[in-house]
Amino acid sequence: MKKKVLATLLATAMVAGCLAGCGNSNDGAASTPATEEAAPAEDAAPAEDAAPAEDAAPAEDTSSAADASDPIATLIANTSGTVALTVWASEEDQDLTTKLLDDFKATYPDVTFDITLGAESESTAKDTILTDVEAAADVFAFADDQINELVQAGALQEVAAHYTYDVAAENATGAVEAATVDGKLYAYPMTADNGYFMFYDSSVFTEDDVKSLEKMIEVADAAGKKIAMDISNGWYIYAFFQGAGLELTLNDDGMTNTCAWNAAGGTDVAQAIIDLTASNVFVDMGDEDMATQIAEGNVVACVNGTWRAETAQEAWGDNYAACKLPTFNAGGKDCQMSSYSGYKLVGVNPHSANLGWSMLLAEFLTNEAAQTARFDARGLGPANLAAASSDAVQSNPAIAALAAQAAYATPQRVGGNFWSPAETLGQILASGNPDGTDLQELLDTTVEGITAPVE
Amino acid sequence: MKKTIKSIIRHFVLLFLSVIWLIPILWLFVTSFSGYKGINTSHFFPETWTLDNYAQLFLRSDSIVQYNRWFLNTLVIAIFSCLISTILVLMVSYTMSKLRFTGRKGLMSFSIILNMFPGVLSMIAIYFILKTLGLTNSHLGMIIVYSAGAGLGYLICKGFMDTISVSLSEAARLEGASEAKIFWSVIIPLSKPIIVYTVINAFLAPWGDFVFAKLMLNSGVATDWTVAIGLFNMLGKSMINKYFSVFCAGGVIIAIPISILFVIMQKCYVEGITGGSVKG
Repeated sequence: MKKKVLATLLATAMVAGCLAGCGNSNDGAASTPATEEAAPAEDAAPAEDAAPAEDAAPAEDTSSAADASDPIATLIANTSGTVALTVWASEEDQDLTTKLLDDFKATYPDVTFDITLGAESESTAKDTILTDVEAAADVFAFADDQINELVQAGALQEVAAHYTYDVAAENATGAVEAATVDGKLYAYPMTADNGYFMFYDSSVFTEDDVKSLEKMIEVADAAGKKIAMDISNGWYIYAFFQGAGLELTLNDDGMTNTCAWNAAGGTDVAQAIIDLTASNVFVDMGDEDMATQIAEGNVVACVNGTWRAETAQEAWGDNYAACKLPTFNAGGKDCQMSSYSGYKLVGVNPHSANLGWSMLLAEFLTNEAAQTARFDARGLGPANLAAASSDAVQSNPAIAALAAQAAYATPQRVGGNFWSPAETLGQILASGNPDGTDLQELLDTTVEGITAPVE
Repeated sequence: MKKTIKSIIRHFVLLFLSVIWLIPILWLFVTSFSGYKGINTSHFFPETWTLDNYAQLFLRSDSIVQYNRWFLNTLVIAIFSCLISTILVLMVSYTMSKLRFTGRKGLMSFSIILNMFPGVLSMIAIYFILKTLGLTNSHLGMIIVYSAGAGLGYLICKGFMDTISVSLSEAARLEGASEAKIFWSVIIPLSKPIIVYTVINAFLAPWGDFVFAKLMLNSGVATDWTVAIGLFNMLGKSMINKYFSVFCAGGVIIAIPISILFVIMQKCYVEGITGGSVKG
């Protein structure tokens, strides 16, 4: 009998556990921050640690205008015991971040740190963080297009004050804008090179050739080589439509889009893409294929970003060159191809038990010295104005090309419904519209998909 | 004559199918010896051959490739899950097969139905339960998850035990043996084939699991990872061109323990499946 009672109790406990689990998961999925019940459950965050962090937050608010050493002194004074922090940086950034973390510990020798460095790609950070914001790292790097959703989910701490440097003043305006949502700064700009431009082999093209896509195709055709671009990818095909003045913008709700690709002139752009790809010299090619084809010498120019710089440099050696995107001819008019500009940002998790230290660390990972080190180690373009104006940065072909393209680039602000219709459109156009669909109709369908409401 | 032609046709069909099935594995295998680190889509066989990828896996650990560590993690998780689940399955099967108690039929149907729901359905709930208990990002938590529900998969094993004559356990009971004694000394020695089958199954699930491991080990700390997550991580868009052939080498290596386990237990494995299915 006793056993049965015990069994029933255990079963009840399990069911209750399940229900509690479900409840928590709902909380996590909705954008409300931590429930009181869940916070103490995190074993990693002892209660004493949480108190000084809260003390530190008002301290930094009051003294933001005063001299910089004060809030840090307050922070150190309010810290007792070990400061446990988790940092997420991309795989490629691990070595550099490890070094920076060591420097950080050395800068504050009076404090005991327990910093764990995890690997999380900037491009997928949002997905991992939104699965469970509380379990995410205290300080993490992410790409700027994810900022809206991260802010909505309460996964970013507002940068209301600063310890060591003025984030808004020392970084490029575009980068600061990209880190700002509704007029509030939410992240620390880390790099400013997450956009695309044109790489080319200067033994095939002259500097004049690369000004127009039509001319490039002519030259490449004569040389029997190819020009590659990932046309069947919304991120890249945007260059054509935006270049012709057809806008795609994110609505105020932060989820749905407004798209004018089917407006007057849209069919000209679509026809232009069909014509450009018809020669089979200008080809639709994914990033991985591009790497292979560049190495094999088949592709002599491609639209891609700084992450391919190494591949291109290896393959073309001294002939490696980069420039802004060329013009293309739509409806008898030369249009400058536009592009998305992208930034990588460092954010602080508001659920962090050591908020003050997290923010200080985020500053440390993105200050001028860190951005310079990042450029030296990995060739990534700094967002920091002082770091970006150094001679080494200025003379880097890829960074220079990005800077030239910047005038025509727009920050990537687009809702999730954009990608799949744009990809389909790209595939159809790059394969020459095999079904012969009326172009206006094709664009109407695409725009309908892009502007569809989000449920 | 007609027979020969038919046989030839049959063999050609089989040859065709086996080529289709084997090509991806062959590609993985030869790419693991490729001197070029990225994906080369224009050649099936690598242009340069090297053992360097394997050397990189085992000898040159960096922040991205920590194969020895992952392999050890996965092995520990798989071995413990395997032990616990095998014991659970055998015990449940014995209970359902040899004991008679109220609600036995109902319980059996209930567990079979419960087992039919895909495990991923409850994944998020399990994650939050374990998080409350502080067991996420721990290998103990993963062992618990992999082995906890194992008892539900008793069906085939029970089918096998049904074929063991009741008179054996009855005789033992008359001699004064307890249920535990009957289980360990009479039934288990007779169940070798089905034990082998259960062991292999129980080992394979955690060994190859990706979905649950990815959800549970979310701290991003590479030393905690299992092989599946570590290999997946190499396919990130910025790494695939430097690590693809290393990934292939890792994929080849992961198949080795399974193959060894299978070769050793092959004879019993076949017996186990067929024996269990007779009355399953």
